[in-house]
Amino acid sequence: MGYLNNAVVTVDAILTKKGRELLARGDGSFKITQFALSDDEIDYTLYNTTHPSGSSFYGEAIEAMPILEAFPDENQIMKYKLATLPRGTSKLPLLEAGYSAIRIKQGASLAITPQTLNYLGATSTFEAAGYTATIADVRVVSNFSGVGVNTEEAERLNAVTTAGTNVSKTVIGTSINLTATTVNTLFGSRTQLQTTLTLVGRDSGARITIPVTIIKVNN
Amino acid sequence: MSFKRFDNEDIVISADSISSPAWTGNEVRLQNFFTSSAQIDGPTGKYFYDVYNGAADAAASQIQFSIAYGNKDGSGSSALNASVASNSPSSIIYKQYRSLINGSEDIELSFDGTDVTHIYSIAIQRARYKEKLLPGSLTLQLGDLFLTDNSKEVTTQTFTDAGRVFQIISGSAGTKTDSPKDTAAKGNSKSHGSYGLFLPDTGLIILNGKALDAPVSDGGVALASATASVAPAVENMALIYDKLEAPTNGNFTVRSEETVSSNYVFVRARNSEFNYSTNPSNITGSGELRHSSMIDSPQSYITAVGLYNDNNDLLAVSKLSRPLLKDFTKEALVRIKLDY
Repeated sequence: MGYLNNAVVTVDAILTKKGRELLARGDGSFKITQFALSDDEIDYTLYNTTHPSGSSFYGEAIEAMPILEAFPDENQIMKYKLATLPRGTSKLPLLEAGYSAIRIKQGASLAITPQTLNYLGATSTFEAAGYTATIADVRVVSNFSGVGVNTEEAERLNAVTTAGTNVSKTVIGTSINLTATTVNTLFGSRTQLQTTLTLVGRDSGARITIPVTIIKVNN
Repeated sequence: MSFKRFDNEDIVISADSISSPAWTGNEVRLQNFFTSSAQIDGPTGKYFYDVYNGAADAAASQIQFSIAYGNKDGSGSSALNASVASNSPSSIIYKQYRSLINGSEDIELSFDGTDVTHIYSIAIQRARYKEKLLPGSLTLQLGDLFLTDNSKEVTTQTFTDAGRVFQIISGSAGTKTDSPKDTAAKGNSKSHGSYGLFLPDTGLIILNGKALDAPVSDGGVALASATASVAPAVENMALIYDKLEAPTNGNFTVRSEETVSSNYVFVRARNSEFNYSTNPSNITGSGELRHSSMIDSPQSYITAVGLYNDNNDLLAVSKLSRPLLKDFTKEALVRIKLDY
């Protein structure tokens, strides 16, 4: 991964893994119809409202930042989307999953129904297009599925099975069901396993990542 | 709120032709040639010689092209089976190319009107030319003879079953020599037609054996192809290889040509759009903006553009080379080029 030349504004477009998959399927699902903008890599604490040169220089440090090249994992890019909101907005959409961290025992199940706060004028709402949920290590769950969204894409993602390797799995739904694994060998000598669950509002772009801990109970 | 649909005129498809050196490492001119004794001594060595850009056993070396010899009657190599004298590697090669180029067993390979029954082929390795070779870019030096194609000399294109075909003439880089040997001054050999055929769409160069066998005074290189019906002491492929190697600095230059289809996508962010960031460093735990000055004068910094389908699947992504400031007084127009 290298830094891009920042002398001029240029773009470097690449297909994501998902894009390649859909292109290979050749069923028309690779059809660009919309776009989103994001400010991944930007740290707004660099926005200096006490800059001695005045407000024109508040963003000086951010604007000088070199940007990394694009990478093809769709789960690791376009994380923080820019939103179109009325001028004067003071609160931005946030996801609330009901958990700041998830700790469940082996074999236990959990249903997560995310809500979006500060969205479309409502304090709290459920997004119509649902939520994308990604578990970073699919081995730690025996079931990981989304319910409530019945699109072809959602059903296809639910049907995907991955076994044996430490890879992520993504599902779509208004509610996400997960069941902790009962397989002891994954633990080795440890008493718990850790991974993360990332939820993204498919309309708002709001995002939250929650640590997940599976506690060993079987001997 | 985070997604904006494209208008029809925002997505444009364009096809551009791109040319680049054919050889490994984008070397413009191949000067040194190497073969593999293991390949030559193996079962394929009777049919063709693979030619490398470095020592065949070196990690960085790759096959650049292959040389084969073809003879209609099977001469120049021993028969596969003594009871079928005409079936030899050379006859197999000749008939292979005759079929590929003419699509008929009744029409012999012809070099600007002269039928010839023994040929040499140079097949450029597929990985070297992405889609096709670029007419007018060829320079092939055999001993003191410089050859090129006549694509700059002709006004109409000729097609065979193997795509476009151009005659190979005396000259370099598409330019005919100043002193051609033929009376018509086409750049052909004195009395055996053109020096070969250049088939850019299939990456092939077919050389006229008769023209190369001719003495230097007649425009040839006195190749002395072996035409007996037994395996020669030196395979005919080696004769061409030796002529390639004969100059102190050899010269085999040709460029590849590729048509790249690109989607140009115009991303337009209006002044009222995309001014707020969901970046966690921009908001507090309750969703309030970190900097109160951004409530009425929000500023965001575009670093990436994501292209989505109707299912909100991220199909392609592009990064800007530096953060682009966006606020209610600015509009952004970003052109994204997407090749596949």
